[in-house]
Amino acid sequence: MRIVIAEDTVLLREGLAGLLEDAGHEVVARVGDAEALLVVVAEHEPDLAVVDVRMPPDYDHEGMRAAADIRRDYPQTAVLVLSQHVETRYALELVATGGGFGYLLKERVLDVDDFLDAARRVCDGGSALDPEVVATLLAPQSHEDALRELTPREHEVLALMAEGRTNAAIAKRLWLTERTVETHVRSILGKLGLPTSGDDHRRVLAVLTYLRASAA
Amino acid sequence: MGGVRIVPRLAACGLALAALILIVGGVVFDQIAAAKDVPGSGAWWLYPFLLAAVLAPAVVGVLIAVQRPANPIGWILVLGALSLAAVLGAQPYAWAALEAHPESLSGGSWAALVSSLWPVFFAWPLAIVFVFPDGRLPSRRWRPYALFAAFSIALLVVLLVLSAKLESPFEDVANPIPARWPDALGFLRGPVWLAVFASLFVGTAAARRRYRSSEGIERLQMLWLAWAALLIPLGIVCFLAWGFVLGKPGDAVLAVMLATQAAVALAVGVAVTRYRLYDIDRLINRTLVYSAVTASLGLLFAAVSLLAGVVVGHGSTWVAAFAAVVAACAFGPLRRRAQAAVDWRFDRPRYDGLQRVRAFVDDVREGRREPEGVGTVLAAALRDPSAELLFRLPASEAYADAVSGVVGDPPVDGRAVTQVEHRGQEIALLLHAPALLDRPDLLRSVLTEASLAIEIARLRVEVRIQLAEVEESRSRVVQAGYEERRRLERDLHDGAQQRLVTLGIVLRRLQLSLPREAQILKPALNSAVDEVGHAIEDLRTIAAGVRPPRLDEGLAAALADLARAAPVPVEFEATHERLPPQVEAAAYFVACEAVTNAVKHASPSHVRIEAEIVDDALRLVVVDDGIGGATVAGGTGLIGLTDRVEAQGGTLLVYSPPGAGTRLEAEIPCGS
Repeated sequence: MRIVIAEDTVLLREGLAGLLEDAGHEVVARVGDAEALLVVVAEHEPDLAVVDVRMPPDYDHEGMRAAADIRRDYPQTAVLVLSQHVETRYALELVATGGGFGYLLKERVLDVDDFLDAARRVCDGGSALDPEVVATLLAPQSHEDALRELTPREHEVLALMAEGRTNAAIAKRLWLTERTVETHVRSILGKLGLPTSGDDHRRVLAVLTYLRASAA
Repeated sequence: MGGVRIVPRLAACGLALAALILIVGGVVFDQIAAAKDVPGSGAWWLYPFLLAAVLAPAVVGVLIAVQRPANPIGWILVLGALSLAAVLGAQPYAWAALEAHPESLSGGSWAALVSSLWPVFFAWPLAIVFVFPDGRLPSRRWRPYALFAAFSIALLVVLLVLSAKLESPFEDVANPIPARWPDALGFLRGPVWLAVFASLFVGTAAARRRYRSSEGIERLQMLWLAWAALLIPLGIVCFLAWGFVLGKPGDAVLAVMLATQAAVALAVGVAVTRYRLYDIDRLINRTLVYSAVTASLGLLFAAVSLLAGVVVGHGSTWVAAFAAVVAACAFGPLRRRAQAAVDWRFDRPRYDGLQRVRAFVDDVREGRREPEGVGTVLAAALRDPSAELLFRLPASEAYADAVSGVVGDPPVDGRAVTQVEHRGQEIALLLHAPALLDRPDLLRSVLTEASLAIEIARLRVEVRIQLAEVEESRSRVVQAGYEERRRLERDLHDGAQQRLVTLGIVLRRLQLSLPREAQILKPALNSAVDEVGHAIEDLRTIAAGVRPPRLDEGLAAALADLARAAPVPVEFEATHERLPPQVEAAAYFVACEAVTNAVKHASPSHVRIEAEIVDDALRLVVVDDGIGGATVAGGTGLIGLTDRVEAQGGTLLVYSPPGAGTRLEAEIPCGS
């Protein structure tokens, strides 16, 4: 993959780049703020941009806004946003509106395989949502919440789905067969009133859209 | 009011009394002369004219001189009355002494001389028209005219005193003064008369000039005098015309001239009393009140003495003492009644104003109205819609109104400013229409009546302002606390946490790049990275305790995290509307501490949080089913919650009966 990195802390930026290069990816540009990020994306049209949420000058949500701009203007470039803390609103907004977007806490980088898997997923047009964010989404908000209808196992499956994982990955994680996972998924979609057709990515988006609507 | 002013008062009264004695004496001697059929005497129908001509200037003069000894008007009037009385009284005495009883009365020729000096009739009205009402000439331009008038009258008097022949009806009496005016200068009499005559017109012109150039109250005051002054030259014209047509002028002409004298004095009196010049109305008002009180007390004393005398027996000192006590007790209420009655009859605005203020003070005492309304009541009582009351705040030396609080310095906008004092201290300023300055008595009495209410209102306004300051300061402190938490949270996330992540990456890369022979280090590096991960997690928990970052997404998001992280089941229902950040922060921390408290002290099985907007306020309810018995003062952290809520202008209530759970209700206004 051809990757650009936008991160204002130099050591962290170099560490990330090294990590990705160790895995055989090509880091074509490293920048420290959102403005420079947009320039290098326009220049290199990379496969993936790894973006820090808070960057100069205001340390507000520059990374998030730049991510939205990139997804709109360069559909072939996926974006993986790294954040210091859990934030649902913007993340869900971007992840649920289409594939090719991921949102992870920074420390997920330390689980290298999982991180590289997430990067690969978003590059393929899938999504990646941090488990911490998913957990906040899956907390039932009221008595009538359809999430209360799910069994504990279905809950687990739904969480992994929301993180953006494929049925195969879920099956591997939970030590289940893919068929069993498929059964759970159908049951979940039925309980939430979502269409059961479509591929993994589409189902994930449907789930996220559902969660976003119920959290709003 | 000190003893200094008693001398001019006594002098004025003495002079007026002397004038009265002279004119009454004149009437008496006229009767004596009439008894002997002296020609010209006994014209009794002239007596009222004589008395009026003397009494009018005397009474008006005394009133003014007593109230304003420094103003020459009063003295001019009193001396005018005296000179009139002397000239008018001298004539009958001269008749009595020269013709009726020459053997027993002496000084007849001197009296005849004095009665010849009748040009003094014109001296005092002339002085009045030049200097009324402030005691000064209208301008420097009038000075030569005034000097000319004074000089011509003086010259005329000298001419009369030094002439060989006295005036009618004493043409045959020898002048008792031996010095003689040279006959060669006799021709002067005509021109001097003409000069006096001209001066009278000039004086009238001066008064009319002043009338035209004055405005407001002074114009109304001058109006009366300007017309009355015209009477004097008209009277002389009339007198001359009479002389030409009918020959010798008779008593009728004298009556006309006396009437004009009285008219000028009365015009001054009317101008002074009607337009409240020199505070005369207050004097009259007091005189009326105290006369009425004295008369009533006398009657009361007499009635009580009589009654008690009949019951107990005559001559007892106890009876007199009892009557005196009754009279003394009756003084206060009687004075108030009399004052009210006099005001009602003679000064309606003052009566109504005082009634209004008294009713208000009663209402305040009974708790029916708030003392802060005193400003509005004063505006109504003084009939001045522009009136505004500013309370003085002793602590800050600033002024404040009852509605909007501190106003700093009083505005300068053309309104007059009157200080209100209570026990010698300035307690307020009244801004009012300048016209009210013409009624200082009204202003003073209404303000005095209202001063207690003003003082109470002032203290309340001050306490309220201070309380607002304290509340504002607490709000700032709490606000600063929130800001500090936010800064700290950012520092933790952007500083320490980033370094830990970097450290983890370095370790991970080291682990991944280990050569085959160093694979034995792999598990150690693995657990080191795990430790770093735990450290990051701990750090995030700490940062979230300082200030949950999800507060940026709204109260509902932050409460969702709180519910998820709590060790007991927490159910919550929260508004998704965004509120001012300090309101969301306050509500979050209240909910957070309430849950922590419940978990720590009440061992509940279940906690429920509700946050909804009711009437533009956030209503937060936290209910648990624990052991209850929590109190705000019990050192359970609830006092901190009260501070947080009240700093936002809200209220916090805790119901916690032992054994029945705890219900905490906070209401935080969302406005501004």
